[in-house]
Amino acid sequence: MNLNRILSSFTFRFSLIYIIVLSVAVTVVLGIVYAVYSYQFTNEVHNAIDSEFNALLKQYEQGGEAGVERFIKERSQPHRGSVFFYLLVDERGHKLAGNLSEWPQLSPYPRNWLNFDQYLLREDDFGDGSDFVGRSAEMEAGNRLLVARNYDDVRSYYKLVAGILIRGMIVTISLGAIGGAIMSQIFLRRIESINRSIDAIMDGDLSERIPVQPGGSEYELLVKNLNAMLHRIESLMAGMKQVSDNIAHDLRTPLTRLRNHLSELQIEGDATADSKVQSLIEEADGILGTFNALLRIARIESDSGHSAFCHVSVNVLLQDVVEFYEPLCSDRGQRLELSIHGETGLWADRDLFFQMLANLVDNAIKYTPGGGAIQVSAHQDAEWVEIMVADNGPGIPEPEREKVFQRFYRLEASRSLLPGNGLGLSLVAAVVQLHQGTVRLEGNNPGLRVLVRIPLAKS
Amino acid sequence: MRCCSNLAMHGMLGPISGSPLRQYDTVVSGGPMTPVNKDNNMRVLLIEDDQSVADYIVKGLRESGYRVDHLVDGKAGLDAAGGDDYDVMVIDRMLPTLDGLSIIKRVRAAGNNTPVLILSALGEVDDRVVGLKAGGDDYLTKPFAFAELLARLEALARRGDSGGPQTRLKVADLEMDLLSHKVSRAGENIILQPREFRLLEYLMKHASQVVTRTMLLENVWDYHFDPQTNVIDVHISRLRQKIDKGFDKPLLNTVRGAGYMLNEPE
Repeated sequence: MNLNRILSSFTFRFSLIYIIVLSVAVTVVLGIVYAVYSYQFTNEVHNAIDSEFNALLKQYEQGGEAGVERFIKERSQPHRGSVFFYLLVDERGHKLAGNLSEWPQLSPYPRNWLNFDQYLLREDDFGDGSDFVGRSAEMEAGNRLLVARNYDDVRSYYKLVAGILIRGMIVTISLGAIGGAIMSQIFLRRIESINRSIDAIMDGDLSERIPVQPGGSEYELLVKNLNAMLHRIESLMAGMKQVSDNIAHDLRTPLTRLRNHLSELQIEGDATADSKVQSLIEEADGILGTFNALLRIARIESDSGHSAFCHVSVNVLLQDVVEFYEPLCSDRGQRLELSIHGETGLWADRDLFFQMLANLVDNAIKYTPGGGAIQVSAHQDAEWVEIMVADNGPGIPEPEREKVFQRFYRLEASRSLLPGNGLGLSLVAAVVQLHQGTVRLEGNNPGLRVLVRIPLAKS
Repeated sequence: MRCCSNLAMHGMLGPISGSPLRQYDTVVSGGPMTPVNKDNNMRVLLIEDDQSVADYIVKGLRESGYRVDHLVDGKAGLDAAGGDDYDVMVIDRMLPTLDGLSIIKRVRAAGNNTPVLILSALGEVDDRVVGLKAGGDDYLTKPFAFAELLARLEALARRGDSGGPQTRLKVADLEMDLLSHKVSRAGENIILQPREFRLLEYLMKHASQVVTRTMLLENVWDYHFDPQTNVIDVHISRLRQKIDKGFDKPLLNTVRGAGYMLNEPE
């Protein structure tokens, strides 16, 4: 498969769109999670600072400087694991109590929060770059009180959460993409299997149906609908075939009777009527021939059994058919050439296969003007036998090539000029289909080339 | 499927080949088809349940000098086939009480080798193959031209006449040596292609009998098919050129509406 086909394939586009949608969705969801989480967390931190500040304020109001000192000492005991810092300074900025060395340089922060850098700390406990957030208040007598919390752990917490969420996002998108690919593969495989079944049914026996996988899914419904369509097609075709079969069959008997009466008349009658009766007999034979051919095609098409199949040598059949038609060719000044490459053996219906070859050669002779050449050849590879019948006659225009296999279809040019019933190639197509092969018409520059490919015997 | 027998190919197409070579044709008409066999005393057993087909066959055969016994029922037919001595039997496949193929099988099992022509309505796929395997000697699909039936019956009825394998065939001054593959007329050697030899051999073996185009296709070319064009006529014309050209009395004659006949001119 080339790149173009992959890029334009439904699977690829479906997967791409799916991955984009999935990525956007996962990003939005995880973004919201992060925003909500960080908002809540920040709020909690701020609330804790507030309550600590209020507690300290209470202590100050009750115990003054000594109360603050006591409170801070009590809070700073190692077992409390406090993350808070406290400071009480006088109006000149001298430290009265607390675990910060001096009043930091505060910068404002939204909603009355204050914020300062850690380098002002004496102890270098928290590494660099981190800062603090806190609240301060002015007391009577110019004393100032400050409660702050180190913000570093909060930040690293955010980072950690963000890291977890990003990793989660990557994993989710990857798993989603893989899962999506698998799912789409499963769906497409089912569609493909339906397609294959339809192909096989169209190629072969119309009475077959697509296998239904139960489960009430849309697929089951699709398959049921397709089967219903096939059923309808089959019954329409059967009806059509039945009608043409019946017409042909029912008309054959009276026609035969007519022909027999004519031939009795010919025997009893006088010489003057003889040539007229003869042409009537020939006319009747022509109609009967058409009916027979029609019935024969119908029978081949409706036959799925291969009971008359046996091993045949295509080479022998070709030699026989060429030998059979050679006198006709030389009468018309045509050359009929046969070239065979190696052994060609097939599992086939011998008489029908010969009939098919006869029809092709007969057509080539009919449509090639005198002096023309007809080439018949065959060769075999590992899977196929390919038979070619080529002439250098007028050929068939490209748009007509498919149509000539239809029953009674004849090219306008030959309709009036040449004898025939328009069934020869229909029979060829029917026989080829019976042998699971293909038949193709090509230009021969000039002329027509018929290529019949039959798969080798499987048994 | 294998229904192309009988009529399909008779005189179907003319313009392609036939006419320029028709100058050698000698058209024989007379009797219903077989001029030489009036009162031939051949006995035919017909087992056929379709009254109109049976009437038609009986009438035609009696006019051609055959003595015909007609039975409708399969079991009665089997009794008749076993009890009486017939030259040829015509048995329809589909019969009441016992089908045609079963009759043939039982007749053959009893050691009776009377030639049998099977009649069949156009139908199942390998009717023909099945019929011949069951012990039938020839097979004809309905509807058929009477000439076809008559020619085939004639060939079957007289099959037993020759008595043992022949090595030489002779019709008038035309001679064929089957061992050395040599053909001569009035002592003059005639060179034939292998297929022409087989064609002439078949015609000589059925000398003075009408041989239809389908019979030639089936027996000389060994294919059961419809040649679309009257190619057989071209082959016959070629053979005629070789054996009749330059002789006063043509041996290979066309029987209009039926086929060909190789016979000694009267």
